Amino acid sequence: MMEPKYQNLVEYFRAQMRKDPDMASAVAAIRTLLEFLKRDKGETILGLRESLKWATDCLTGEDSSVAVSSGGELFLRFISLTSLEHQDLSRCKKVMEERGELFLEKISMSRTKVAKLCHTFIKDGAKILTHSYSRVVLRVLEKAAAEKKRFSVYVTESQPDSAGRQMAEALRKLNVPVTVVLDAAVGYVLEKVDLVIVGAEGVVESGGIINKIGTYQMAVCSKAHNKPFYVVAESFKFVRLYPLNQQDVPDKFKYKADTLKTVQNLSEEHPMIDYTPPSLITLLFTDLGVLTPSAVSDELIKLYL
Amino acid sequence: MPGPDKETDLTERIEAFLFDLNRGGSGAGPLRGSAETARETTALLRRITAQARWSSAGDLMEIIRNEGRRMTAAQPSETTVGNMIRRVLKIIREEYARSRGSSEEADQQESLHKLLTSGGVSDENFRQPFAALKPNVIEAINELLTELEGTTDNIAMQALEHIHSNEVIMTIGRSRTVEAFLKDAARKRKFHVIVAECAPFCQGHEMATSLSKAGIETTVITDAAIFAVMSRVNKVIIGTQTVLANGGLRAVNGTHTLALAAKHHSTPLIVCAPMFKLSPQVRRLSFLSDFYRYCEILSKVNVHCPVFDYVPPELITLFISNIGGHAPSYIYRLMSELYHPEDHEL
Repeated sequence: MMEPKYQNLVEYFRAQMRKDPDMASAVAAIRTLLEFLKRDKGETILGLRESLKWATDCLTGEDSSVAVSSGGELFLRFISLTSLEHQDLSRCKKVMEERGELFLEKISMSRTKVAKLCHTFIKDGAKILTHSYSRVVLRVLEKAAAEKKRFSVYVTESQPDSAGRQMAEALRKLNVPVTVVLDAAVGYVLEKVDLVIVGAEGVVESGGIINKIGTYQMAVCSKAHNKPFYVVAESFKFVRLYPLNQQDVPDKFKYKADTLKTVQNLSEEHPMIDYTPPSLITLLFTDLGVLTPSAVSDELIKLYL
Repeated sequence: MPGPDKETDLTERIEAFLFDLNRGGSGAGPLRGSAETARETTALLRRITAQARWSSAGDLMEIIRNEGRRMTAAQPSETTVGNMIRRVLKIIREEYARSRGSSEEADQQESLHKLLTSGGVSDENFRQPFAALKPNVIEAINELLTELEGTTDNIAMQALEHIHSNEVIMTIGRSRTVEAFLKDAARKRKFHVIVAECAPFCQGHEMATSLSKAGIETTVITDAAIFAVMSRVNKVIIGTQTVLANGGLRAVNGTHTLALAAKHHSTPLIVCAPMFKLSPQVRRLSFLSDFYRYCEILSKVNVHCPVFDYVPPELITLFISNIGGHAPSYIYRLMSELYHPEDHEL
């Protein structure tokens, strides 16, 4: 009885990701959970929460990124907050569905808001360094290019999946001069660069970020060269994690979902993400405004406590 | 007819204020302190609220925003004007929310919480007229004016906690806030002050004269001697022109040098800045283009004379404002209390 439900859920999630490759994985996860909510036939709010928790676990089993996990947690929090206001289940579900749609509408605007805030920090003639493929950074650079600013971009290749090349392709389509550099060449290229902009898969409570492996290195080098290190992220990526060092990041985020399921000895695998502490980040651009890393925990507290 | 007369009187006053702002910037008019500018701006905004024709909060905010844009365009380096306008806009929003009966928390910043729980598209067009709005707003602006009048005293009151006997304190240029701060401490403690003269305007000389008249042992040094003397200094206390949203400063030329020297010697750097200097701007990589005034003395020589410096937040230890002491990382929080995010861009 569980199997078809699981299949449907995962299929829906995959279909969402396929339909719109530009959509953030967290948004697809929240959309899937909302659909699940609509189809759920539970009788009690507690039962609803249980089945939503189960659904979130399925989704994280499919795509182990931090963003999906934070999107799921946010949705669960949304359910708790709404269920506190209305005791009756059917009324509650109706309100949840309405608010859920509204919420999805708002967060689909978040990338535009971030781009609006960030593009003013890119001056004419600037040289930007970025890491791997980030749709938010791409949107920011699109906006800057649309404002007729001239700038050039260095992108790291970002092994093991060469995602940087995808970013370079996308930038070439915008007629932005772009150079792909080796991951090892970050220190070499930093003296030519004016600012560093990266995306984030997750923003943690301390104000640090979790992003593709190689970001921490870039941050340390930027600090050494005194270049500003900017992070662009939507607010639904804020996650209740407080890692103190690289080892503290849970294994379930470090490796891809299929690796976690199949491989026995994780110590032989290469992690896909790393943690950048807040002391290396200059500013975070989110749809909630331009934040200093210390402001991030404030936002999380407002939501969760 | 009282109507048109009031309006022409109002327009005259606004024009006079704009003219003064413009003159003050080019160095032709009398040099005014930022506290004075803040008070005059607020008084003018109160007059606009009282005399201009408006029916709803939305209209008033539009009028103030328009006048605000003209005022900031007249003198872009005087950020207190823009700050006061944003404070008044926030006051109007709060009074409107209070009149509508909704809780004050409801219409504040965007937050994750608000994203999740808001029930519908916010209908904040501020169009509903309320009779009690005008007197409420004027009263709130009066409270703001009272706060502005007391800022220097509030800051000076905290001096005894920070300055101890037989200390050597360094400062730069001339700041009325720091002057009051040091004079207040001098009533009970004996300490030594070193003032960097801050060329080419050499305002440090006036500061030193004023401090020595109050009985404080003062020494004037050139800007180049800052690093050399820093090893003997216990604390550095400075004023600033503006406090930026990331906790950094836009302060008089030479402050960044002072801050770096203090960091090198691990000397605490204390900034005395009243709340009206807090601005929602963040420093951009503008390569100092806003910070310059040019002086051309010979036809073949351009002398660049930057008036302001940017000091990054990492070099600052403590901010002392009229509401107490704060760390630079806390400035974002104070900002969210003083201004509404939609008013960051006027």
